[in-house]
Amino acid sequence: MTILRRLAFIALSAFAFLAAWKVIVLIGGYPEYILPAPDVVALRAVEAIRNGTLQPHLVATLEESVIGFAVGALVAVAAGILLAKSLTAERVLSPYLVAAQAIPILALAPLIDIWFGGGLTARVVICALIVFFPIAIATMVGIRSTDPLLVEMARAYGARPGQITRLLELPSALPVLFGGLRVGVTLAVIGAVVAEWAGASIGLGVLINIADQGLFDTPLMFVALASLAVLGLTFYGLVLVAERLLIPR
Amino acid sequence: MSTRALPVAIALMLTVAACTPTASMSPTASPELSPSPTPAGELRQVRLLLGFRPDVQFAPFYLAQQDGYYADAGLEVTIEHAGGGELIRLVADGQAEFGVADATDVMIARTSGIPVTYVSSLFQSFPVALIGLPGSVPTDPAELAGMTIGTPGRFGSSWHALLALLDAGGLTEDDVTIREYPQFNQVEGFLAGDVELITGFRNNEPIRLAAEGPDYATNLLTIDEVAPLPGPGVVVGDELLAGDRSLVEAFASATAAAQAAVVLEPAAGLAAAAMAVPTLWEDMDTARSVLLATIDLWEGDGALPMGAIDPDLWESGFAIMRGLGFIDGSVAPDEMYWPAIRLD
Repeated sequence: MTILRRLAFIALSAFAFLAAWKVIVLIGGYPEYILPAPDVVALRAVEAIRNGTLQPHLVATLEESVIGFAVGALVAVAAGILLAKSLTAERVLSPYLVAAQAIPILALAPLIDIWFGGGLTARVVICALIVFFPIAIATMVGIRSTDPLLVEMARAYGARPGQITRLLELPSALPVLFGGLRVGVTLAVIGAVVAEWAGASIGLGVLINIADQGLFDTPLMFVALASLAVLGLTFYGLVLVAERLLIPR
Repeated sequence: MSTRALPVAIALMLTVAACTPTASMSPTASPELSPSPTPAGELRQVRLLLGFRPDVQFAPFYLAQQDGYYADAGLEVTIEHAGGGELIRLVADGQAEFGVADATDVMIARTSGIPVTYVSSLFQSFPVALIGLPGSVPTDPAELAGMTIGTPGRFGSSWHALLALLDAGGLTEDDVTIREYPQFNQVEGFLAGDVELITGFRNNEPIRLAAEGPDYATNLLTIDEVAPLPGPGVVVGDELLAGDRSLVEAFASATAAAQAAVVLEPAAGLAAAAMAVPTLWEDMDTARSVLLATIDLWEGDGALPMGAIDPDLWESGFAIMRGLGFIDGSVAPDEMYWPAIRLD
């Protein structure tokens, strides 16, 4: 499929989605404050951009999710390597990791916000916590899926453990690791919003709260939601690009 | 499932992985809004949405439900809880007949074109105040300059009251440091020493803080004298109001009667609240103190009967909210409320 055809397909799919949305609003007879039509949201988006309402919130969420993802992914990859290489580490840490994953971060986030004194640090921590699990598990599974014969051969050639991990196991784990990164990068956006709902003055999560509960401006709430979707899609696309560059086909 | 909900249900199934839907986006079957003839002896089922969590402050509703005030009015009331934005939308859309919302929120919602009307007042005194340790709470709003204040966020009566207080002192939000606690955990932030003052209901947070120990006795900066705003009350959707005023009056009267009964006999209200909210049993002394403080705010100066709406207070609140830029004045205050309890 050529790039042009691919773009045309994406455009057609987006058009179909917006048309379906509009039809639902018309058939359902929904008032604007319950479900605004896409054209109403688009007009509100233009207004929000023109009067400068959207940009500071978008930039704040972008910053939190990028830093949160970077921190969470780095720690997760390191933890994933440790879990893959050390059975003891896996036995000791895995129950905590799984248990931490089962705890709703929304309940814990307000406390994390207070523990870290609020601000960007608290929000990055919350975001990183959400990102951590899928990437750590993907790293662990990816490294363990390395062909044992290749590992044996590297050892036979005198490769040190660090070299085996760096030059053989990590490259071999990349396809699985990127699966985790794809999940993690979209969770980073959710993590940023959860962090903002725990305590923040700015960000798309804050804008959602203001539009929903402060202004009763449902179209503006949808503008914030659409902005989050765009952020998620952009991050996902960037990870795909990185995957294509790093994993030759 | 109503035909109206069907398209959204299909869309949700198709886009289930796309986003987390809010309750207000997934309407359930809409109730019949026109006056439906109820056979003799049968109760009309209605849905009441209270604030975001069960509390002793809702004692009149619990008492009215348990002691037959609603049943005597021909109503079978189901009580649920919802947050501000969702509550107003559900009531305006007719998915719930009644709700309890901030008057200041009704002003904004109404001006934004959301068909919701305030029909009876719960609080004759505005409950929100600034709360802090003795010595850190100024008596003059102008002295708030430079202070750090915790509040749930830029929404709701706490935010409106904070800005009104600052405005009364010739200040704006830029003159103070505001820390937001969207999960309403500003008390924890206060206890952690992150903020000097918090916004809160003066019948609730100060009492719960005092229960933490003698170190947490607090002082208040109230708003009634400097910037009078109407308090929370019962709201209904315009369609219900236009179609069945007798239902609205019956509900408001039954609620006001139960509220008056709680004022006369707080123990009955406390018992009803504890029946509805079993966690109150864990600290009944605090619950009792909160209820007594709440009763003081319900009564205000005692000039008006329970449930009555004070038009002068609405005029004052309207002017304040307009001055702060929350509303543009395009909808007059008397179009925002309809007194279900008459001042004859």
